[in-house]
Amino acid sequence: MKTLAVDTSTMMATCALLDEDRLLGEFSLNQDMTHSENLVPMIKEMLDNLNLKVKDIDLFGVAIGPGSFTGLRIGIATIKSFAHVFDKPVIGVSTLEGLAFNLPYKGYIVPIIDARRNRIYTGIYNRIKGNLINIVEPTIMEVDKLMELLQEEYDHIIVNGNGTLVYRDIILEALGDQVIMAPKNLNSCRASSIGELALLKYKEGQRDSYYHLVPEYLRESQAQRELRKRDK
Amino acid sequence: MVRIVLKGLKEMEEFGEKLGSILKPGDIISLTGDLGAGKTTLTKSIGKGLGVEDYITSPTFTLINEYKGRLNLYHFDVYRLEGPIDLYDLGFEEYIYSNGVSIIEWGDKIEEILPEERINIQIEKSVELDERIIYLYGEGERFKQLIKELNID
Repeated sequence: MKTLAVDTSTMMATCALLDEDRLLGEFSLNQDMTHSENLVPMIKEMLDNLNLKVKDIDLFGVAIGPGSFTGLRIGIATIKSFAHVFDKPVIGVSTLEGLAFNLPYKGYIVPIIDARRNRIYTGIYNRIKGNLINIVEPTIMEVDKLMELLQEEYDHIIVNGNGTLVYRDIILEALGDQVIMAPKNLNSCRASSIGELALLKYKEGQRDSYYHLVPEYLRESQAQRELRKRDK
Repeated sequence: MVRIVLKGLKEMEEFGEKLGSILKPGDIISLTGDLGAGKTTLTKSIGKGLGVEDYITSPTFTLINEYKGRLNLYHFDVYRLEGPIDLYDLGFEEYIYSNGVSIIEWGDKIEEILPEERINIQIEKSVELDERIIYLYGEGERFKQLIKELNID
């Protein structure tokens, strides 16, 4: 089953092609937000090099957020249109779950995506018998709040995602020896992780429709916004 | 508040280009004024000053237009929006807290969610045809610095 996956939730534009057992190709560019210009040529380049066409794909996977609103729309619109044209199944995968999946770590896995102005998108995961389990659901919060939570309740933590670059000093100061920063090759969103998760979810029976799949923006609630305004 | 009288299109263009040439990453301009006052015209000149080569058109239908220049220019028209919630759905914060310059037509409609540190420009028609009166006001150091660089008071 050939799976094509993309993730454009962050500045990293990434696409990958997998079959049942192997990663066949992956192409990632971490540039200024130019996904609308780069993504489709990147997919074409990868497929051309593999001597494949979009019609050869059996399953499409896409990161549905949280992340950049504009980025998510580009990735999801692209994948939905491919799936629609060839009437193939599509699976939406949480961007945070994708990041957590990068890390084969026995401990708490905390992906962190920058949401600007000291806010982050994050969730907490761990692996039980190899399976990634979500402990704290994806949410938007202030980076300091996450640090408090991790300090008080968690140990053996590994973090990744672009938020670990933006808030590196804060994280290290708050968590010190409690935390490992992921190496660069596992720190960013990778379409290979989105693709593998999409395939796993497909086998578990998940089906998303190319008509109904939408981004998970994870907006701040009205209450959170009011609070922020009051604090200001 | 700074008041400027611009006599004719040429002076409007000169003002816009000068302003565009001194804008910095993250600057936000809220433009207000009646229909036909010249908000889009002024934006075109600011874009020129920013080194945008594309033809700048009104974002009334597209809501946001994006241009590449010396800095990225994000041109909004929020006239059609119901309110701030619609803007959060657009991913508004990605633009206004970026390293580009944001120009927001009808910015007064969404004042409550704009950062305090911004440049407000109000354009009014004068009794003279083609004459425009421009009011510049804002808070914070960046606004003061900008007024100084514009060298108009």
